[in-house]
Amino acid sequence: MSSRGSGGRSNGALPQTKICQFKLVLLGDMAVGKSSLVLRFVKGQFDEFQETTIGAAFLAQSVCLDDTTVKFEIWDTAGQERYHSLAPMYYRGAQAAIVVFDITKPETFERAKAWVKELQRQASPNIVIALAGNKADLAEKRLVEYEEAQSYAEDTGLLFMETSAKTAMNVNELFLAIAKKMPKTDTQNPTHAARHRGVNLQDPDAHSTRACCGGN
Amino acid sequence: MAVHASVNGTTAIPWRGSRKKLSLLEKLRSCQDAWCPGAPWDRDRAHAAISGAPAGSFLVVRDSVTSQPCLLCVSAGDQNGEVLDYNMNCTGTAFQVSASRLSFSELPQLVLFYSLSRDVLAVCLSIPSLIYSKSEMNKDHLSQLEPNTWLSPPPEYQTEEVPQKEPSHVMCSIQLTSSNGALCIINPLYIHEHGDEWLTHKPAGLQLSHIRRERRLSTTRTWAGAGIQSKRATSLDQESKYSNTEAAGLTRARSADSPLTPQTPTEVVLRRPSRDLTCSIHQRASTGSLSTPTTPGTPEQHRHSSPVPQSPHRVSWIEDGVWLPPPRPSSLLQPPSLELDSLSISSIEEEQETQIASPTPHHPSAHRLADKVMHRLSAVGQALGGLVSQKKRLTNRVVELSERKGTAFGETVKSFVEVTLKGGSDPSGPMGAEFLQEVRSSLSSLREILLDYPDIQAILDSITDLNDPEIDSLVEITLHKVALKPVSSHLYSCIHTARTNDGSFQRLQGNFLVLEKNGVEELGGSKGVGVPDPLTLDRIQQRWASMHEAYSPNKKIQILLKVCKSIYHSMSANATSSTGTVFGADDFLPCLTWVLLRSNLISLQVDTDYMMELLDPTQLQGEGGYYLTTLYASLFYINSFQPRLAARQLSVEAQHSINQWHRRRTLHCNKSRRSVQRRTIRRQMAKQNLETETKSKSKSGTENESEEAGVTGQSTETSTEADFMPSENTECEQELEDQPQTSVQTDFQAAKQQEMMTSEQEDRLSVCTETEETKDDSDEELKGDLR
Repeated sequence: MSSRGSGGRSNGALPQTKICQFKLVLLGDMAVGKSSLVLRFVKGQFDEFQETTIGAAFLAQSVCLDDTTVKFEIWDTAGQERYHSLAPMYYRGAQAAIVVFDITKPETFERAKAWVKELQRQASPNIVIALAGNKADLAEKRLVEYEEAQSYAEDTGLLFMETSAKTAMNVNELFLAIAKKMPKTDTQNPTHAARHRGVNLQDPDAHSTRACCGGN
Repeated sequence: MAVHASVNGTTAIPWRGSRKKLSLLEKLRSCQDAWCPGAPWDRDRAHAAISGAPAGSFLVVRDSVTSQPCLLCVSAGDQNGEVLDYNMNCTGTAFQVSASRLSFSELPQLVLFYSLSRDVLAVCLSIPSLIYSKSEMNKDHLSQLEPNTWLSPPPEYQTEEVPQKEPSHVMCSIQLTSSNGALCIINPLYIHEHGDEWLTHKPAGLQLSHIRRERRLSTTRTWAGAGIQSKRATSLDQESKYSNTEAAGLTRARSADSPLTPQTPTEVVLRRPSRDLTCSIHQRASTGSLSTPTTPGTPEQHRHSSPVPQSPHRVSWIEDGVWLPPPRPSSLLQPPSLELDSLSISSIEEEQETQIASPTPHHPSAHRLADKVMHRLSAVGQALGGLVSQKKRLTNRVVELSERKGTAFGETVKSFVEVTLKGGSDPSGPMGAEFLQEVRSSLSSLREILLDYPDIQAILDSITDLNDPEIDSLVEITLHKVALKPVSSHLYSCIHTARTNDGSFQRLQGNFLVLEKNGVEELGGSKGVGVPDPLTLDRIQQRWASMHEAYSPNKKIQILLKVCKSIYHSMSANATSSTGTVFGADDFLPCLTWVLLRSNLISLQVDTDYMMELLDPTQLQGEGGYYLTTLYASLFYINSFQPRLAARQLSVEAQHSINQWHRRRTLHCNKSRRSVQRRTIRRQMAKQNLETETKSKSKSGTENESEEAGVTGQSTETSTEADFMPSENTECEQELEDQPQTSVQTDFQAAKQQEMMTSEQEDRLSVCTETEETKDDSDEELKGDLR
């Protein structure tokens, strides 16, 4: 949050603000805290950037990064084994992924590795993958060592952080790290920014009031 | 058994849907005893009653033993009074005409469907006009109808056209009458007190055409506005060619602004902003790229500057004006015209065939009528200028263009509808998803054509508070109205056929039986998560039904989001172990699956396919995209459920299907990106975007490639797609050749060129997916395409 370009968001004052929009998919075993993590991130931000969504499975949130506003569209997936085969539908076209595991449950770490492997094999080649060891507040129950996860992440070229959705530890940092890693050249990409918000995004209210152009 | 869900009348007759009164389906339900009487009605008695009745008059006869509906008797409407019999099957929950594959969950739905679409019948079922007109009557009246009354309504109901006899009350009225630019809003009470003769005063020679017009318009909507002259601001060529008198009465309201137009002093006038007209004419003259003839003295301009005295142009918007005098007797009307038809999908189909046979320019089509009513409503908005959104102006203009003969857009829409209504069911042609992709591709082309119209651009540019994607979406929705609405029922049945043929429906039904008893926890939901209570579930079912009725995929998505919202609400509100937990996808997907298992899976699958294939690519992102994906995923889960196999094992088929879909959509996404690009270029923001687009193009190329890498056994699919592209191209060319007007050549060539380019591009993309090595080359070519 500290890295939000403070003061940089006065309405209409930033004609040159770039908007990048990215699809970010959340993967990980059931109950590792995927949605809590994202919700913490979303709720922890300023309301100004928050979009009303109908539920926590899809959330959108923007962060400011210097002269760029990075908007994440966050797609949650069901972590159950039985729904595994549906995951490709969700990570198709995603530019970023957070693979979450629970540091108190080693099997979720194994599962996370499987996800990473699958993503690297099947998702967009340039996808930015972050590994999140969640529930770091439960240090006394830890069963996955930090070093183990850290070295795995290094070997596979992932961003890695231990997080706690409960205490908000490293939550914003994780998203900011991802935001920084995203190719800013994608800005104004017709696929994303331009197609979604156009070039002029100075009015933060615009979205809610205009979302219903289908209404007539 | 495949159950086709309700194809409600609102699909074809949307203005009826907006009335919030008894829907036609509800009315049919209420008077089911009239058209499906029990004993002692049998085949013979039904025949006796139907024989000689107008074509399509029908009764459903029940089996004397089981009292299940078993026979559909329909009057062929010929002189011999022939009655056609169609056997029916009822298997508990599904009703079916034996010869057809379509099944319906209830009999009224079946009847409604066959009143809109002939399918296997020789004629469409005809629902008596009194049913349409009884909207204000309560269900008791309907339920007391007798079969004989049903078949031959008492004389007072025997109006030829549907809705004239709307019993009504004053709800609201705005009267706008134009001839020189003033705006007039009339209190309905005034007219109630003083009559409306002063409004209808006009040269006698115009009376007939006005009456005629009145009647035509009144057929489209349950409203009798005889007293108020209803002149929509329109410029339909065919209308102006009806007759001289008619022409005088039907020039567009805009022409009132023309300095050359003599003013008739007694008229009450309607204000219309003249700026846009001047502007668009000017642009036409200067750009020369509009498909309407651009040389001086073209019919279009003649109309604008016509020296013929103008009759008043009036717009009236009256909801159920009880104060209006009754419609004039229909005997005054002349000559009987096709537009008095049922306004059903099938009638459109027939009309279009007629149009092919004799492409006379003054042949109004039924759906155009519908649009006119919309127009009329929005004409008020136009008249009010700044008070009402510019969006309506756009809609108006697009509808108007689609109606007008000889414009590239109008002709393309027309041939699109024709081609689409014929396609999709021929096993030798594209079917199922491929067919829908052709439709999607045509929609994109139509949008391109539309965006090339200077006056459309002018309207869009005047909408300053919208960004590009929102404008796209606006144009897209307008397109749905003119292009998708007439074909949506047909598309449903194509999807239905394709899904039946590939076994999806059978698997859905089979797995449904396996999974149906599963609670949400057995489906993977966390302990204690709430599911919708019966009442909510009911409401969800209604929403699904209205989702099915919506022809616009965007509208469907909106409804889907509402359903998802109420599922979310139930998840927390009905949770048994409420700890304020956040419910993410881990719980939402099982809950949605739970709900689906209590819904009409078949119709949901049809709607999902419809949305997946026809949505504008931009809509596949964001929240709508997410929940559509989830709906698709959930249906996919049910469809591919294999209790014995390790759940993790992703069947080749599963991945194949996903990849196939994604590739299709990626291709069109590219096309669409391009379209945005073109416009942006026009708006002189080219440079920056051009760079990024190139990037995005290469990106999508690599995406495709990566898909390919992940999957084996794709070669057949790719080749199918390769086959599909050229055929699309051919179709386009053919459409182009069909155009008779040389004046539209420029535009068409432009459109054609674009289409060719896009197709080439797609071909390249699909080639690119086949061979990784060609990637770089393809990217280069793509870049080249941009210049």
